[in-house]
Amino acid sequence: MEFTVRSYRFNPEVDKQPYYKDYILNGFPSMTVLNALMKIKSETDGSLTFRRSCRSAICGSCAMKINGISKLACKTQVNSEITKFGIIKVEPLGNLPVVRDLVVEQESFFGKINEIKPYLLGIRENSPDEKFHVLKDGEKITQPVFHKSEFKALTGNNDTPNCILCECCFSECGTEVVNKKYLGPAALAKLYRYIEDPRDNDRDGSRLVNASKPNGIWDCVHCQACEQFCPKSISPVKSIVKLHEKAIKNSITFSKGAKHIIGIANSINKTGRLNEVKVAIDTVGLLGLMNDLPVVFRASLKGKIPSLKLKLIKDMDDIRLAFKELDREEE
Amino acid sequence: MITYVYYPGCVAQESGKELDNATKFIAEKLGINLLQMPEASCCGGGIIDGFDANLKLFINGRTLALAEKNGFDILTICNTCTLTLSEVNEEIKNNPALMKKTNAYLSKIRLKYEGNVKVKHLLYVLRDDIGLDKLKDVVVNSLNGIKVAPFYGCHILRPSEVIKFDDAENPSGFEELIKAVGGEPVSYVRRTKCCGFQTILIDEASSTSLSGNAIFEAQEQGADLMVTPCPLCHLSLDTYQNVAAKSIGKKLSLPVLHLPQLIGVALGGSYSEMGFSRHNVSLKPVMANINLK
Ligand code: FES
Repeated sequence: MEFTVRSYRFNPEVDKQPYYKDYILNGFPSMTVLNALMKIKSETDGSLTFRRSCRSAICGSCAMKINGISKLACKTQVNSEITKFGIIKVEPLGNLPVVRDLVVEQESFFGKINEIKPYLLGIRENSPDEKFHVLKDGEKITQPVFHKSEFKALTGNNDTPNCILCECCFSECGTEVVNKKYLGPAALAKLYRYIEDPRDNDRDGSRLVNASKPNGIWDCVHCQACEQFCPKSISPVKSIVKLHEKAIKNSITFSKGAKHIIGIANSINKTGRLNEVKVAIDTVGLLGLMNDLPVVFRASLKGKIPSLKLKLIKDMDDIRLAFKELDREEE
Repeated sequence: MITYVYYPGCVAQESGKELDNATKFIAEKLGINLLQMPEASCCGGGIIDGFDANLKLFINGRTLALAEKNGFDILTICNTCTLTLSEVNEEIKNNPALMKKTNAYLSKIRLKYEGNVKVKHLLYVLRDDIGLDKLKDVVVNSLNGIKVAPFYGCHILRPSEVIKFDDAENPSGFEELIKAVGGEPVSYVRRTKCCGFQTILIDEASSTSLSGNAIFEAQEQGADLMVTPCPLCHLSLDTYQNVAAKSIGKKLSLPVLHLPQLIGVALGGSYSEMGFSRHNVSLKPVMANINLK
């Protein structure tokens, strides 16, 4: 089977700007994109640069954009890409600066993982004799160690522990494109994993409070790309939504995002509908709306301002009962 | 005549009324009977599970049960309503515990859901249930090869575990519809990216940069118009277009249509029937190109 690999090329030491180079390959059936790249590197062009290690979708090194979508090159079949796109176009991951060719700089990604404190908080951090240390001969770990299935049974969380930190979600994340400070899907999914861990001893709720500040859980645009394109079938966005629910149930509602959701819930509880004006006021306050006066003004000229008072839906009592049922579920 | 339970969603009944009107206009022309459901509630705007996952289950389980009682599938015109209803539908159907929990609530309001309803977005009702040939047959005002940038948005494509209308990596349904009514689809990368709407009240500059980037790219690719199947995307792309221009520091001026408005124009709808006076970015410059009266 003959096919073309079109690779993004950029070596900042010699190239003024990035360019694409085509390689014609004669491949074998069931070849992966990584196989193809390794074949090019060993037979045609040794300068083509990319990361790889395990070749079995477990180390997360070989993530790159393949025909525009972030994937693991070692888990992606040439055949299926050619059938769909007619070519193998490879580019570096998005939302991260390019080091060379298909290799991106990873510091900002791992910096964000570190920022959520990806370790168990509590006594082991504060008490002098419980500090992290290399175990001495015969010394036992004082905290229980969970097998993945036990962790799932305890927390209901069966996916985030499978994260291989490949950065596909980060590369596809909608918010990350426009807000480089956003913690990103992988870090927030990991945060959820620690918050749910029964061994974690976050006494003052600092994890949720910190995550509720700008650039945290409330900045997710819900574009679903992190779930769609995770090669390990993890859904960071679902973890983020669970963090929203947890924050609100623990009355951590100082953020605009929390106010927004509470506003929507209140509006549904009152009318069965979403009152666009009231939800906006609940979220940003009347003063906040002033910033958007030009938008509001133009919209009102066009007759687009929604009503402040909405007609109740028919059988509104059904919805009121749904809210009452929630309280019952809580008990 | 083909019948659906019509679920316009909240925005199309208020700030986006022109979408509701255009939908009804094309439904009549295409022989689609839209059964009104005045009992239906808001779906929760795609984020209500962040308040309480059970609330999402109950209110949308109720909507599904009401449709089942009526005996027809649901037709939606909002990406986010489509995803929310579809998610709940899948969750209930595949998880007996959730089915039981939802029906425990529903039984108190004399309803029951057995999982027999499908949730279909107008875009794919047109492609799959009406069919492109039938659509071509009723076109009276072909769009003359005008360049149309389809903006899919997110919730009509992703997650594809739940939303299975199209190929999430490389969708084509929208382009097929545009061609069927005589337009020329513009190809651009951001057609499947996010409009940013969910955080427009939380971080306006970032949110509108997303819509701005998409509009700018479509403009650069020569689009005369952009079209979206979602009223939330429309708010970001049209109502906030001036803010988006500021956020990305570029000049933006691209009229953005709701999907049924584009179809409606091809089926002979006039400027006022399509409610174009309600748009922020004027359609006047392109009106002659699309024979709009
Ligand atoms: S090489 Fe390790 S994940 Fe692909």
